[in-house]
Amino acid sequence: MQYDVLVIGGGIAGMESSLTLGDMGYKVLLVEKESSIGGKMVLLSKVFPTLDCASCIATPKMAAVANHENITILPYSQVDEIERKGNGHFLVHLHRKPTFIDAAACTGCGQCEVACTVAIPDQFNRNLIARRAAHIAFPQAVPKKAIIDHQGLSPCSYACPAGVKAHGYVSLVRAGKYEEAFNLHMEDAPLPGSLSRACYAPCEENCTRSELEGPVPIRGIKRFMVDRYYQRHPEPECGPPEKSSGRAVAVVGSGPAGLTAAYFLAQKGHSVEIFEAASRPGGMLRYGIPPYRLPKSIVDRDIKNVTALGVKIHTDCPMSSIPELKASGFDAVFLAMGTLKGYSANLPGENLEGVMDCMTFLKASATGYIDDLRGKKVMIIGGGNSAIDPARTALRLKAEKVSIYYRRSRAEMPAHDWEVQAALDEGVELHELKMPVRFVGSNGHLQAIECIDMELGLPDESGRRRPVPIDGSETSEPADLVILSIGLRPATSDFAGQLGLAPNERIVADPETLATSVEGVFAGGDVVTGPSMIIEAIAQGKRAAFYMDRFLTGKQLSGTVFDQRLPMVEPGEVIHRLGKNFSRRDASVLPQIPLDQRTTDGIELEVEGTMSEEDARYSASRCLDCGGCAECHECISACPADAIHFDMRPEDKDVDVGSVVLANGFELFDARNKAAYGYGRFPNVIDAMQMDRILAPTRPYNSVVRPSDGKAPSNIAFVLCTGSRDESVGNRLCSQICCMYSLKQAQLLMGALPLADITIYYIDIRAFGKGYDEFYEQAKGMGVYFVKGRIGRIEERDDQNLALFYEDMLNGDGVKQAEHDLVVLSVGLLPNQEMLALFKDQRLESEKIPFIHEIDSDLEPCKTSIEGVFVAGAASAARDIPDTIMHAGAAAAQTAAYLKKVRVS
Amino acid sequence: MTDRRIGAFICGCGGNISDYVDIEKVRDEVEKEPGVVVARTAMFTCSDATQREIIDIIREQELDGIVVASCSPKLHLNTFRAMARRAGLNQYVYNQVNIREQCSWTHTHDMEHATDKAIRLIRAGIARTLMGHPLEMIRVKTIPRVLIIGAGISGLQAARLLSTMGIEVHLVESAPEVGGQVASWGPLFPSGRSGKELVQTLTSMIEKDDRIHIHTSSQVVEKTGNVGEFDISIQSSDGKRTSIKAGAIIVATGFQRYKPPQGEFGYGLPGVLTLDEFRDVLDNSDSGSIRYNGRDIKNISYIYCVGSRQGSNDEGSHSYCSRYCCTAAVHTALLAGEKQNPLHQYHLFRDMRTYGKQELLYEEALQKGSLFLKFPDEEPPSVKASNGHLEVALKDQLTGGEEINIGSDLVVLVTGMEARPNRELIDVLKLPVGKDGFFNEIHCKLRPVETVMDGILIAGSAQGPKNVHESTISSMAAVAKSAGLLMKGYVDLEPFVAVVDPDLCEWCDDCSNACPYDAIGKIEKGGKAIAQVTTAICKGCGTCVPACEKLAINVEGYTHKQITNMIDALAKEVV
Repeated sequence: MQYDVLVIGGGIAGMESSLTLGDMGYKVLLVEKESSIGGKMVLLSKVFPTLDCASCIATPKMAAVANHENITILPYSQVDEIERKGNGHFLVHLHRKPTFIDAAACTGCGQCEVACTVAIPDQFNRNLIARRAAHIAFPQAVPKKAIIDHQGLSPCSYACPAGVKAHGYVSLVRAGKYEEAFNLHMEDAPLPGSLSRACYAPCEENCTRSELEGPVPIRGIKRFMVDRYYQRHPEPECGPPEKSSGRAVAVVGSGPAGLTAAYFLAQKGHSVEIFEAASRPGGMLRYGIPPYRLPKSIVDRDIKNVTALGVKIHTDCPMSSIPELKASGFDAVFLAMGTLKGYSANLPGENLEGVMDCMTFLKASATGYIDDLRGKKVMIIGGGNSAIDPARTALRLKAEKVSIYYRRSRAEMPAHDWEVQAALDEGVELHELKMPVRFVGSNGHLQAIECIDMELGLPDESGRRRPVPIDGSETSEPADLVILSIGLRPATSDFAGQLGLAPNERIVADPETLATSVEGVFAGGDVVTGPSMIIEAIAQGKRAAFYMDRFLTGKQLSGTVFDQRLPMVEPGEVIHRLGKNFSRRDASVLPQIPLDQRTTDGIELEVEGTMSEEDARYSASRCLDCGGCAECHECISACPADAIHFDMRPEDKDVDVGSVVLANGFELFDARNKAAYGYGRFPNVIDAMQMDRILAPTRPYNSVVRPSDGKAPSNIAFVLCTGSRDESVGNRLCSQICCMYSLKQAQLLMGALPLADITIYYIDIRAFGKGYDEFYEQAKGMGVYFVKGRIGRIEERDDQNLALFYEDMLNGDGVKQAEHDLVVLSVGLLPNQEMLALFKDQRLESEKIPFIHEIDSDLEPCKTSIEGVFVAGAASAARDIPDTIMHAGAAAAQTAAYLKKVRVS
Repeated sequence: MTDRRIGAFICGCGGNISDYVDIEKVRDEVEKEPGVVVARTAMFTCSDATQREIIDIIREQELDGIVVASCSPKLHLNTFRAMARRAGLNQYVYNQVNIREQCSWTHTHDMEHATDKAIRLIRAGIARTLMGHPLEMIRVKTIPRVLIIGAGISGLQAARLLSTMGIEVHLVESAPEVGGQVASWGPLFPSGRSGKELVQTLTSMIEKDDRIHIHTSSQVVEKTGNVGEFDISIQSSDGKRTSIKAGAIIVATGFQRYKPPQGEFGYGLPGVLTLDEFRDVLDNSDSGSIRYNGRDIKNISYIYCVGSRQGSNDEGSHSYCSRYCCTAAVHTALLAGEKQNPLHQYHLFRDMRTYGKQELLYEEALQKGSLFLKFPDEEPPSVKASNGHLEVALKDQLTGGEEINIGSDLVVLVTGMEARPNRELIDVLKLPVGKDGFFNEIHCKLRPVETVMDGILIAGSAQGPKNVHESTISSMAAVAKSAGLLMKGYVDLEPFVAVVDPDLCEWCDDCSNACPYDAIGKIEKGGKAIAQVTTAICKGCGTCVPACEKLAINVEGYTHKQITNMIDALAKEVV
């Protein structure tokens, strides 16, 4: 692509330069970082000294730019780098930020905005109110297209191995859209009930709120939404897909990986049958997780989500022959048998009756084979989560004494600390730094366990300190049942020779596609990865289904990537971004049954309860909306034009231009940096841009109100030179416009609140332009009070009125104090420094206060230190609108002269 | 009845209209008007999205006329004309009705009657549209040549830049030399370069440039034609007239220095100087000392706002701020301090208006020992001579109103800028000037260098007080605007010109006598003499229309039929 001129910034300066150059016949590319052109001017109320409506005079310019035959607008785009080419042209590298809405299809109807469940401080209203993540910048936006504000994935959603949109369903619950929340979950994972009880919830661990008052209880919110849904829908709402693909898939194993793969494959119209060796489906969900954590009725209901799609599950049906499956007509096979076997401890006495591995114990207790441990001393060896479940189960089976023996200390235990604590609270004993050396028995029955004390040595390769036995510290304890929780492995010996196995007996599968060494045979879940979390197994099942569907529909496995999630937003950035908009809200505690009931009423009794609707919504409302858009997908359903596309990604573009106009404007002084004025701490201290918004026709409130209580203010102060003429904030310059816009706001306020008193605290009133001093006189004539004196500090009173301390320079009497019920800080203009590092190998000179430097302001205004690069408007100095318009016109003239000269030579 | 298909679109203007006018009621009423097939309301009719909606409606409903009731056509006439064009309509079947400035804003207290008035105004707009017909713009070829009036810093800059852009320039200067006032100035802020050096640099560029024709000692005496093809006569001091054709005119006639009357702040006493006079003293003093009338100067008082911010509307007084003088005075004080040290300098000011980066100069002056004293607006300082010295008395507000007398060797009156007395030029160009005497721009916010006369632009301090940097910027902005007009090769003029009905006209000369632009002449047609209008000259002012007893002359867009139909519509009661 080739243009004569690149104009960066679509504010009033950029628009003026573009229009003027366009009128001369030059092809202009106008790049704007926001989704609409118009800059700051279009956000203003009225403009001095004529009190013209800013929108009224800016919108014709905006429309003229949009409709100009020689101007191309690139909204929501960012210039990344500009390099000079050999021919004197510039090569511009830029990218369009993804809007997630197809601009060509969007009609600007605003339905997405109504449906969107995420509220974000509205930068176009100077954060006074919220807008939605899906939004149109402002009513007069050009182009009037909605965009979705999605900086990246929220840490919770990013953390989920299966890509469950945690932020999405939390946001839907917050909005009271519970069924939608459930359905959104079902887009990504089919076993929400089990996950809502037993998922270790990496989402919560990564919640940005963890760094504040504790994470959003995402799993608890999920449980609320699932329980509510299952209560209302005992049977799934969906049936098998209408169209069948005619292809058949066998899934071996009905654990979370197998069920998930079956679910997604069945949705694609493939006929799926699951072969399960046990007598009930569910795998680890049914046998590995004790019912006090995951009731089996929930597992059953979860599985219905899969079988409702037409998936058949054959129980008591071990399957270990791939040829047999292929011969039965299956086009593809997914192996997901999990890890059911315990590792041997290789200790004397391991074969005694009374020594078993944790899976054997858990399955025996789950099926009722072991249902009473009264009077028994139970010892669990190990420190992982698989040690905690048997221990707490044994307690509920009324064992006399339950102890966990772990060879390191509690700090090194791989089990989640809250689980260890729950076990200890319930009465499990923990013996740290003890390792069994032999099991002692008689007549084949276990009687005692002999242990040795350990101490911690140097760290091993896992980073944990290596336990070292202490010679001579052996002791013996009587024991009736020893449960070895020292790791699990898959039972794959029957597959040896059929496909590739790793030395640790796991099936070898491609980590991306999960394809095994045999074509059409895929494997995933614990049988490939070793023991993992449920959600990881679900992720594997989902991944397998994606590639198996490709295989079944004759597509190449390669050439695509399954997981194309957006990058994550950094929690630190989120907290920084929220700044003063973050309010502290304490976490609510999940309901739990009292300790004394937990172990008395059997293993079925669930420890954790379901939170109330009120709690769920409160908890969801604590979400910080880190990534902006939650991907709740409500907009997708709402959009009448089918314009929403979440697969959009940044789009890089290279453009060839003859010259560059920098019209990137200014930054308003952030009044938080003048701490003595209390902005950000005192609600009734606002900045002038906020006041301009309050006075604008597209104002956020219907009248002028003060933020703390919504009352009409009656005594308003303007504090001039906030952030200007002030070495203490690093800006000695005068900002040139603040006196005038304050005079304007004062006059508008006199119209809006005829009874209010308005005082302007100033150093000098700089009303220097055409008609400006007359405007000052007009304000005086209207009754605005003027006090010459700089405000030293502002304090808040109990009624949230404000006390201003100042020296009245004209009337003496030292430091005085005045009370006002609303204070407007007339903030200054600071340079926008975004352009300074944009040019490759060329230095764009700036001034000490880093406005872009005009190399010869007398003779050659607008020329920068780089030939062919010009500056327009407030990017080079504070300027009011007429001065900006003239400067932008001059920049256009300079650009045109440059282009002429370059072409002639 | 009518077979016209008119659409009426009523704008709420984001509350500017809809807060005071019940636009839904308006819509319901105007929907009933003959010829109206669709009537709609919108929050912002000018928004891109609403415009696109209207275009769709125009196409779907096959409209042949549209009325938008919104703000003043000054704001959005072109917006909606462009919209009409995009919809495939002739842009003159669109009419704008102003229900904001002329209705909602003036009747904010009475919604009921404001609503009635809006209905009547829109009915009239519809009535005008019903009787209207498509028109075509009058396309005029533009001459790629610019006449610049005034060869000061602004005019020189404009000439140089236009030439670089390939546009020919005629530069007319009333003085015998180019350069204007800046040519005699010493060091300028912030570069430190002297005005003289600046002008020399520019002059040397211009003299070698054969695209730039310089006419010194010359005045513009006559201007005819219009944007794109002006005919200008200039007359040199020896009486020789030259005729120049140009596509655009840039007026860069600059300012004149305020000259205090005798006695104002002691002006006329020895040692009381204007800022410019003091700058001459400084420029002519050797480094190491400032001497005036053979005396070393040790104490200087500056009195600010002389000839500026005078508040009253008396003849010759100025209520405006002259913008440049505070900085100029501070800068001068710094230069003086460099010449002689120690030097006591007292600045008697009202508000220090060293805006923007110029603040740094003020800060430097403070640091280098200049004292600043603030006198009350209503109690200016007084200056009197005593014992060969000057005594300046003031009430200093910064020390609680203390009466202070400053013995001074020199009193410098910080004088402002005023408009040049340009009566002849104003009459020739027919340009409006403001109360302050400076040329008026068409819109002070967004069109600061354009005037109501298409193709005539104003640059530099002819528009209002400016420093050199600002003058240069404004002249370059004027260059940009004229290049925008001329580089395309043509401009389109409004077709609202007088037309003569040859059947009714019986040449009586009344219309041609009435025409202020000499646009009407006599021709023979069909065996009789009738009037004929030269469309490129006709301004569509309508003066000829009532002069014709036969009603044989009409202004397009405002024909008798349209106007009477509008009056009927306005008069019809709203029920």
